[in-house]
Amino acid sequence: MKILAKKDLVDVLKTWSDSYDVFAPSMKETGDVIFDRFDADTFTLDYGKPSLPQKSEFLPQSEILFELKKGEYREVMAGSGKMLFGMRACDVMGMRQAGSFMNRDVTDPYYKSKEEGILKVVMACSGPQNETCFCTTVGSGPFAETGFDLQLYDLGDEFLVEAESGRGKQLIANGPFGEVADAGVGTKIEEFKVDASKAVEEVPALREAMKRLRDGSVSEKVWDYFGRKCIVCGGCVFVCPTCTCFNVSDFETKPGEGLRVRSWDACLFGGFTREASGHNPRGNQALRLKRRHEHKLLYYNETDILEGLCGCVGCGRCSDYCPVHIGTLEVVKAIAED
Amino acid sequence: MAGLAAAFGSGAMTNSISEVEEAELFFITGTNTTAQHPLIGTRIINAKERGAKIILADPRKIQLADYADIHLRHNIGTDVALLNGIMNIIIEEDIYDREYVEERTENFDQLKAVVSRYTPRVVEQITGVRASDLEDAARAYATTEKAMLLYAMGITQHATGTDNVKTCANLAMLTGHVGRPSTGVNPLRGQNNVQGACDMGGLPNVFSGYQQVANEEVRKKFEEAWGVEKLDGKVGLTITKMMAAAQKGDLKALYIMGENPMLSDPDSSHIELALSNLDFLVVQDIFMSETARLADVVLPATSFAEKSGTYTNTERKVQIAHKAIDPLGSAKDDWEIICEVSRRSGYPMNYSSTRDILKEINELTPSYAGITYERLVKGYGLQWPCPTEEHPGTPYLHKGKFTKGLGSFLPCDFKPVSEVPDEEYDFLLTTGRVYYHFHTGTMTRRISILEREAPEPLVEINPDDARRLGIKNNDEVELISRRGSIKVKAEVTDRVPKRVVFSTFHFHEAPVNLLTNPVFDPVSGIPEYKGCAVRVRRCA
Repeated sequence: MKILAKKDLVDVLKTWSDSYDVFAPSMKETGDVIFDRFDADTFTLDYGKPSLPQKSEFLPQSEILFELKKGEYREVMAGSGKMLFGMRACDVMGMRQAGSFMNRDVTDPYYKSKEEGILKVVMACSGPQNETCFCTTVGSGPFAETGFDLQLYDLGDEFLVEAESGRGKQLIANGPFGEVADAGVGTKIEEFKVDASKAVEEVPALREAMKRLRDGSVSEKVWDYFGRKCIVCGGCVFVCPTCTCFNVSDFETKPGEGLRVRSWDACLFGGFTREASGHNPRGNQALRLKRRHEHKLLYYNETDILEGLCGCVGCGRCSDYCPVHIGTLEVVKAIAED
Repeated sequence: MAGLAAAFGSGAMTNSISEVEEAELFFITGTNTTAQHPLIGTRIINAKERGAKIILADPRKIQLADYADIHLRHNIGTDVALLNGIMNIIIEEDIYDREYVEERTENFDQLKAVVSRYTPRVVEQITGVRASDLEDAARAYATTEKAMLLYAMGITQHATGTDNVKTCANLAMLTGHVGRPSTGVNPLRGQNNVQGACDMGGLPNVFSGYQQVANEEVRKKFEEAWGVEKLDGKVGLTITKMMAAAQKGDLKALYIMGENPMLSDPDSSHIELALSNLDFLVVQDIFMSETARLADVVLPATSFAEKSGTYTNTERKVQIAHKAIDPLGSAKDDWEIICEVSRRSGYPMNYSSTRDILKEINELTPSYAGITYERLVKGYGLQWPCPTEEHPGTPYLHKGKFTKGLGSFLPCDFKPVSEVPDEEYDFLLTTGRVYYHFHTGTMTRRISILEREAPEPLVEINPDDARRLGIKNNDEVELISRRGSIKVKAEVTDRVPKRVVFSTFHFHEAPVNLLTNPVFDPVSGIPEYKGCAVRVRRCA
């Protein structure tokens, strides 16, 4: 554990930028904060919940797997020297769960090559970032237990900096990072963790919904209600840290030349499960929504969820963004109250 | 556009998208909102869940039909009769907004005279809508304070499109539903910048901001600004008239940007003849479309991701966008191509960026005067009219008085579709879009997932008709009109009423516009895509 004065943070990021492609919260002219290449002028710590998880760093919205040129195939494998500064604990858990899934039986080299290169610097949350956060219910936050290179705890004028990996330890070996002199620092961290955890409200409906799903006692009416109003935009899937479904397609760029590309897909699209015969085992939107939520809350793989409770990491983004309010929070409440 | 401009003095959505959530009642007609304007559709659903009522007037059972308190499934092309019938009841029951009508409108007596002929019984005969449903709809719309009318191409794409729009405007004025938040008459524009294209003078009769070319003072202003003499004051041709003129040989050259009339215009075999008859055809597009293939010169333009500039959306909001990547290959921005063409034709245009062009727009277009680059980059857009740099923009129009002063009732009589089904062609074909594809598919059909979701054209046919003709789901059927025929697979569904079939125009493999009827609204020139007579046959 080391200590860093808050005023030194921008200089540290500048130094790190010499060796890494640092992505950090950046306040744009409109007031929006996005994760962008570090820029001292627009850098901000006032960013709450990042609008998107960092999923696209490992699984880009679309990526070329290989090219066909002059009669030869060439695999396209991109590594990454990126540092993601300011990740949230829920997203770290999401990334770990997704990584476990993608590499469990067979290693996905495209995913893995990106995952390995990235440095993860987590900013522990001192409480919920907005009203849809429920990390404490699913065991993903508000601070990360593991899976990071560095984790910062904001104590006001200074950060306590925790290194997990060897690379993390190297990063804070010198420079303005000071040794912790204060013997009470252990207590301070514990207090931070306890207070932060208390501040994030539990969602008992989630456990209740999981139980009811296990018991098979959920009425189809719940799914019909949501299925009727879903507009099939796939937004909940795209903002979800643990959704990794993709589609693979080929493009001809010139006669005799082409690309194989994979891109994000969504189980909420009818064609995702439609079979060659035309039959669709998930033949309507209600069934597709049921499948998606059962996947997160019932049929998740025990190996992949790691220390979490289920396949949802409680970031609450589906509830933040669904234009007709079909987020996990709304769904589990509807199930629990049914 | 033309209909609303005549009634109110402005041809755009009167209200804002965010106001949709606050409305207490919706009158929705000719818009499959959740499929074609999904985010506006979601606001309707949210409002409904909070207690708003929905009156849906649509022959098809669209997703919003599940939410409708009253679904009026009127016969195709009977919109004027339906709306006149509703007004008849409102006047008859004396639930119209008398004060509003007296203070803010003109021509009420004429309206009264026309709609008096549309008694519920007469309207029931024409539209197939039960008189009691019509009465319920009339009462609910007239007596709800925040009642919002929404329409799209189901209203406009008829030979009587302008009449349909005028009649929508009549209904809203009669009940005082224009000039306040969460009410109004709201045409939903189908493309992100079709409002902007009209605003910038992409019409045959106006310069930017709807300044008439026929007006000498206006011409003088533009002549001075552009340093030219004698701008032509003659109104030009609409697309549909251009095609006719090309076929006749009166029109020699055509410069088409980002349009694919080979798939999007009615009676497409005639379009091919017309375009082939030109001496010179230039097409500026991002892909080699069906139309570009016919061109003498193809100019490669940039896609949205490669260009910067502004878009004006359906709620009159001007928003700025910055390019994400540099143009690929030899593509250039549309404005750069136009400048190059202009320079080589002897009139150099000296713009260095879209920012320069926006500055000129600000100077020459009163409704855009305050929508400057500096303001746009700092926010989320500004809604016109925005006459000065201090003006906050206008979320809803016609507050206190109409843009043209008094709102004009422009009563219309019902006229049936131009091609009524008969014994030989016994179905009405109505055309539209699916959720997954945009227009003629030049962009969306290149996206593998969208192509997977909707890989081929389907024709919706009612189960009763299907049974009678021996058609099962996914059977190949032939649709035959007086102009051509196509083969498509059948989707047997009660989404369409009996004797109506619905198909889409996205697919070059089975271009539905081979069948459609090239009759046009006399004012706007819009074709009658929403109704023509066809025969349906199961392929062996």
